[in-house]
Amino acid sequence: MRTRPLFAALLLASAAGCAVLPKDHVQFERLADCPRQTAAHLIAQQNQLGPLSDTHALACALTFLRESNDPALRRSSLGSHLCLHLAEREADPKKRDKLAAEGVAFAETALAQGGEKDGAVHYYLATNLGLAVREHITLAMKNLARLETEMKQALALSPDIDHGGPLRILGTLYLKAPAWPNGIGDRDKALELLEKVVAKHPEHPLNHLFYAQALWEEGDEDSLSQVKSEFALGEKLLGEGDWGYSRGPWKKEFDEFEQEMGEAGSGRQQPLAQARK
Amino acid sequence: MNKTRFLLLASLLASFTATASETLVVCYPGGPVNAKDANGAMSAMLRVVERVGQWQENSFTSVFATKLADCRQQMAEKKPKFAITSLGLYLELRAAHNLLPLVQPKIKGQTSEQYRVVVQKDKFKSLNELKGKTLGGTVLEEPAFIGKIVFAGQYDLANDFVLKPSNQPIRALRGLDKGELDAVILNEQQYGALAALKLENPVEAIFTSEAIPLMGVVADGANTTPEERGRFGKALAGMCSDNEGKKLCDLFGVEAFAVVNPAVFEPMAKLWGGK
Repeated sequence: MRTRPLFAALLLASAAGCAVLPKDHVQFERLADCPRQTAAHLIAQQNQLGPLSDTHALACALTFLRESNDPALRRSSLGSHLCLHLAEREADPKKRDKLAAEGVAFAETALAQGGEKDGAVHYYLATNLGLAVREHITLAMKNLARLETEMKQALALSPDIDHGGPLRILGTLYLKAPAWPNGIGDRDKALELLEKVVAKHPEHPLNHLFYAQALWEEGDEDSLSQVKSEFALGEKLLGEGDWGYSRGPWKKEFDEFEQEMGEAGSGRQQPLAQARK
Repeated sequence: MNKTRFLLLASLLASFTATASETLVVCYPGGPVNAKDANGAMSAMLRVVERVGQWQENSFTSVFATKLADCRQQMAEKKPKFAITSLGLYLELRAAHNLLPLVQPKIKGQTSEQYRVVVQKDKFKSLNELKGKTLGGTVLEEPAFIGKIVFAGQYDLANDFVLKPSNQPIRALRGLDKGELDAVILNEQQYGALAALKLENPVEAIFTSEAIPLMGVVADGANTTPEERGRFGKALAGMCSDNEGKKLCDLFGVEAFAVVNPAVFEPMAKLWGGK
């Protein structure tokens, strides 16, 4: 995932209402067209279900999971993983919230059924939670500590999942959350973690983008050339890699940051163009 | 004022003046937030407040600034009916813009706060000992306010100290902890949260200011009617007793918005005017 949802949540992007996560499920269409599934088959192919998967295939897998009591499936991260990818593709905010909330519930079930040592469970719990609360300021603020705790667990158990996702998201959490003493925001920590994830996982475009954003927030002229080079590298990786359904929202992230840089100073656009060469 | 309370105020202000469809100026000198984030947060809270106040949704605009120069420019250009300012900016612009305080946030039963200068324990005993030393903190974005109001004109801030302003309070305190700064000046909320920071070296306050009124929402007295100001103030005062509004107030630690007694600002105005 990225972090688009999580990071938007941390900006406290919208309404204050809704004190709890939704509990009802999104219903999918064309379920009659779904292939026959078994728990063993789903477990075997779980690593293939992701950003490159067809949306209908994800919906079929999730529908099977909803009805399954297979203990191996229930304690795995698959349910929350599927929900996250479906939620990220969902244009309707209410359906998106429901899918993300369901992803949180799947992860909580997995933890309760013995999945607490699986970093992916913590990772997808936090990413779904970030997405589920992003439109609800009170919910977002109340869940900041939980987001941090779950992502720290993911970092400790599975630091390399999703191309350094725990470092990337934790770093962005510290970058975007309200700063001390109002919240857990901490630019020093953000810079440290995002610099680390760029070094460990230079292959992921968002690692470079978020590191560029952290450097940009410093407002330091000395960092400007590094901001531009990180941005350009991330953009290049995004353009060249096969990121499936994730590419669209990530491109939007890049475009928004580029616009922000452009608005901050007319003299900065030209060097950015040069950095792409 | 801290960031979240400030943003809540900003949202409230925006909604209650929505019918005027005017640009609202929101100034937060030294705030650790960029305009994009702030506007996002203000919009977020605004939707609820609009509903609570029965104003039309999305019927206002606002501008946000964290630099004093930008605040002054926005106030001069927009000439807003209502604004959110720091106390320092209010004192500076009150005459030019006929500013009248309307409401103050009430926090932990208080509508005032105290500032402290903290140092590593036993390193310095007084501000006099700090002369010539480095002083950091977010509130130094408004040096005139600190010099005239917080230090009550007893120190020449720019000449007596080596100022190291920052928009990250935690970074200033880490600098103090490492010995990179000699002292840090903190507002009430920052000082109250120190214990949770777990610094390596214990710190202590060597200066505590007099009680200084919290600043909230101001109106341009020449550009608003008494009815507008009254309606506005009343709506804000009822905000935290509304079911949905209370959630926001609770979230930001604001118990209520109190209608201002203008007399509380007069001692500040005298300090500001004195040299």
